[in-house]
Amino acid sequence: MSCNPSFGGIGKGHLMREVDALDGLCARICDQSGVHYKVLNRCKGPAVWGLRAQIDRKLYKENMQKEILNTPLLTVHEASVEDLLLMEPEPDRPGKCQVSGVILGDGSRVHAGSVILTTGTFLRGMVFIGLKIHPAGRLGDQPSIGLAQTLEKLGFAVGRLKTGTPPRLAKDSIDFSVLERHTADNPPVPFSFLSEAVWIKPEDQLSCYRTLTNGKVERIIHDNLHLNNHVRETTRGPRYCPSLESKVLRFPNRIHQLWLEPEGLDSNVIYPQGMSMTLPPELQEQVIACIHGLEKAKMVQPGYGVQYDFLDPRQLSTSLESRLVQRLFFAGQINGTTGYEEAAAQGVIAGINAGLRVSGKPPFIISRTEGYVGVLIDDLTTLGTNEPYRMFTSRVEFRMSLRPDNADSRLTLRGFEEAGCVSQQRYAQTSRMKAALEEAIAVLKSLQFTATKWSRLVPEAPISTSRSSLASALDILQYTEVTMELLARAIPEPLRKFADWRELAERLKIEAVYEWHVANQQQEIEEVRRDEALKLPENLDYFAIDASLSQEVREKLDSNRPQTIGAVSRIPGITPAAIVNLLRFVKTNQQRTEHLKHSRIGRPLPEGNTFGKSTFQNSSLSCAS
Amino acid sequence: FAGPHSFTGEDCSELHVHGGPAVVGGVLQALGRLPGLRPADPGEFTKRAFQAGKLGLTEVEGLGDLIHAETEAQRRQALRQMEGELGQLYQRWSEELTKALAHVEAFIDFSEDDNLEEGVLARVAAAVQTLEEEVRGHLQDGRRGERLRGGVHVVIAGPTNAGKSSLLNLLCQRPAAIVSPVAGTTRDVVESALNIGGYPVVLSDTAGLRETQDAVEREGVSRARDRLQRADVVLAVLAAVDVAPEPGCLADALRAVLPPGALAGRAPCILVLNKADLLEEGRGGALLGACGEGALSPVCLLSCKTGEGVASLLSLLGAQLEQMCGDPLTGSPSLTQARHRLHLTSCLGSLGRYHGYKSLDLVLAAEELRLARRHLGKITGRVSAEEILDIVFRDFCVGK
Repeated sequence: MSCNPSFGGIGKGHLMREVDALDGLCARICDQSGVHYKVLNRCKGPAVWGLRAQIDRKLYKENMQKEILNTPLLTVHEASVEDLLLMEPEPDRPGKCQVSGVILGDGSRVHAGSVILTTGTFLRGMVFIGLKIHPAGRLGDQPSIGLAQTLEKLGFAVGRLKTGTPPRLAKDSIDFSVLERHTADNPPVPFSFLSEAVWIKPEDQLSCYRTLTNGKVERIIHDNLHLNNHVRETTRGPRYCPSLESKVLRFPNRIHQLWLEPEGLDSNVIYPQGMSMTLPPELQEQVIACIHGLEKAKMVQPGYGVQYDFLDPRQLSTSLESRLVQRLFFAGQINGTTGYEEAAAQGVIAGINAGLRVSGKPPFIISRTEGYVGVLIDDLTTLGTNEPYRMFTSRVEFRMSLRPDNADSRLTLRGFEEAGCVSQQRYAQTSRMKAALEEAIAVLKSLQFTATKWSRLVPEAPISTSRSSLASALDILQYTEVTMELLARAIPEPLRKFADWRELAERLKIEAVYEWHVANQQQEIEEVRRDEALKLPENLDYFAIDASLSQEVREKLDSNRPQTIGAVSRIPGITPAAIVNLLRFVKTNQQRTEHLKHSRIGRPLPEGNTFGKSTFQNSSLSCAS
Repeated sequence: FAGPHSFTGEDCSELHVHGGPAVVGGVLQALGRLPGLRPADPGEFTKRAFQAGKLGLTEVEGLGDLIHAETEAQRRQALRQMEGELGQLYQRWSEELTKALAHVEAFIDFSEDDNLEEGVLARVAAAVQTLEEEVRGHLQDGRRGERLRGGVHVVIAGPTNAGKSSLLNLLCQRPAAIVSPVAGTTRDVVESALNIGGYPVVLSDTAGLRETQDAVEREGVSRARDRLQRADVVLAVLAAVDVAPEPGCLADALRAVLPPGALAGRAPCILVLNKADLLEEGRGGALLGACGEGALSPVCLLSCKTGEGVASLLSLLGAQLEQMCGDPLTGSPSLTQARHRLHLTSCLGSLGRYHGYKSLDLVLAAEELRLARRHLGKITGRVSAEEILDIVFRDFCVGK
């Protein structure tokens, strides 16, 4: 965790649940390492509840390393990657070459059937503090330059983004007694479907504190803009995680919130969320000293800005494999995203697909209709981005059905059956829960009574007795006042057993709230799925095809390279006529699969190619399907 | 057409209807009121047919070009419509609705931990309500396009023997109605279609309004009153010689023709004082003066016998029609109008449901705004998630 000491949040918590549903690690590790768990948006409907936690950096690292190092069949090697091993492409697939491994800093080679690059902010990273600029991927770490050059030479379109991190403060130098305290949830809600509870006792959790900026802060920032390179640069930074400087510049004369977050149980470091800045260190200290509660605070590390390369994600297919270099996958900030959760979500998908690619199986794609992960990747690969991309629930069309509570029923079974990424234990647990949910919903739907009878059975429910049609128990469960427990008290047989299974009862309640709306949206979801099933060939030459498409539309299609008719329809400015015209070029799924089966690993590039010497080695991972 | 042998492979039904755009528009409106029915998007039938494997490549190609041509024509037509006042109105609604939606989305994605100002939701609720009222009002009185297609109903009413039938004959320049000096000659409604200043008008002459023992005439009077209820414009005809040039007297005479409540809506009325040729010198001016004094305007003094004053009636009527129908030179809005009506009605429905859900579950409430936005977007263009986020970041300082 190289920036904020927290995981999750609104939209981001959704991603973590989905990563967990596919047996990714971060949710489970967070359940073993958090120091302050809090569900955001509790009062806004379960579809947008945001699971979030402050995480102990040290514990997270330890627990994550333990988990990774104990993963069977996994060899872990720590080294810098300087270059890629490349060879001739597989025929009949887009791509000018294919990757067959990497060259490390010491010149040694690692051969691989596929490679995933997750360079974070290290790709030609530059750190900015005041007017000082030096190359670094993170304070104290060398940037990755050789790799950046290789990628550029290969012809990847590269962009530049910026982000920042706040100064760190010494906990024992802060006067918390004058600040507003925010306590954690009791009981804490775990991230993972596998965790019954988190590791920490509820009462042992740490608190966060809130303080505010003021006019003095604003003045220091204004008076010293000439000492602030990072802010003056035009590189796009995130609008939703702005530096203190950009908040003050864009919304002047306002008070901004600052959150003091613990970095760990036995850590003396406090992370002041909202205070990201790039002023020279002595001025950062001045800013800190004029904030309530921080008058005597000691800065243990200054805040700084980072600028780094990212690759236009429209160069990727939805499996996150690049179209330019076969078998090369990208995940995380290199694709223009920000945040641990967005990175983890891509990591899971890239990992699954890198594995499937080596074993010659079709890619594992999550649709926009199935998960936030699908929305994230579709947005990136179809529309690209010009600022660090962050997940928001507002980006999701089918928000009512893609909820944190049901990520397992959406993804786990598919992950087990198609990707093989899910453990037997998780598969069994999800199948059990799914069956129980289906059974319970069927039972609740079958219990139908008149409004009069319901108001006698469940007096707490504000049922209108003028309602003439019968209402089912599922209808009654929609009311805010009604729980499974109340229903079970009224109708013990057959509802008692469902109400006593706490997790099931909670999920049924949520299902009841959205059931009708989700059913209503089903037609629309089907429509999107049908459009997504109409796949376009990856190497279609949009300038050459004979169809009445305007030059503008052709250019858009060429740069966005949509993979399906669904993706075409989401590109701004594409007309219905263009969509119909493109139907001609749709390939059926069947053809695609045939094509995959016949693909072969290519021959090596001739000696002396631009991209470094590479040797052909038959991957140990077979390509039999 | 039962699937799978239909064009799209699904069960389809085709309606063959009589007549012009008014009938088609009416049918579309009726269909739009059925739950679950909506107009197809451009190219949608083709896409469905393709998905069902009903179309070969060449057919798709041809249809693609056809849709291109159609949508291009529709776009031009919509543009023509959008350039005017109506376009500006829809555009403003679109902006307001987008902003309301963006603020709800901001509240969902950011409110906690971010200092989103108090009262965001209250402001959204107020904005949604205002929008609702405006759209509802528009749907109620915005029948301009339909009037233009079906004709504006202009009803001639007044006491017996005031010269109503003479006026009809004069305006349509043919003896459509029988005229005679006998009071109560006209017993049924006589209709004539004509063009006034480029506007289609259905002019109706009605039986003179009076109490009567004659059963046939009584039915005629009842039909006259019924027709008045549905009038878009009323021409209230009085014989100039029968009224005194005093505001009170004129108002009473007018009220006898149009008692309060005679008109369902607020159909505008033009007071026509006929038989000007029989007036003494100076009396006409006095009458017009009294009308002005009693705010009984617009008024027109004319003689059906000599034709004097008819031009001024036509220009008064023309102005009234223009106000009601808009400028006919912008062209007939044709079927897009009916589609707009459907989308606006759906939009209104969603806006109404927002209030119910907002205290229950904000996600459901936001969904209604998203739906409302999508319906409106069918008229004004789609708004992407990115544009919503642009508003969020413009209006709020969010993010830590």
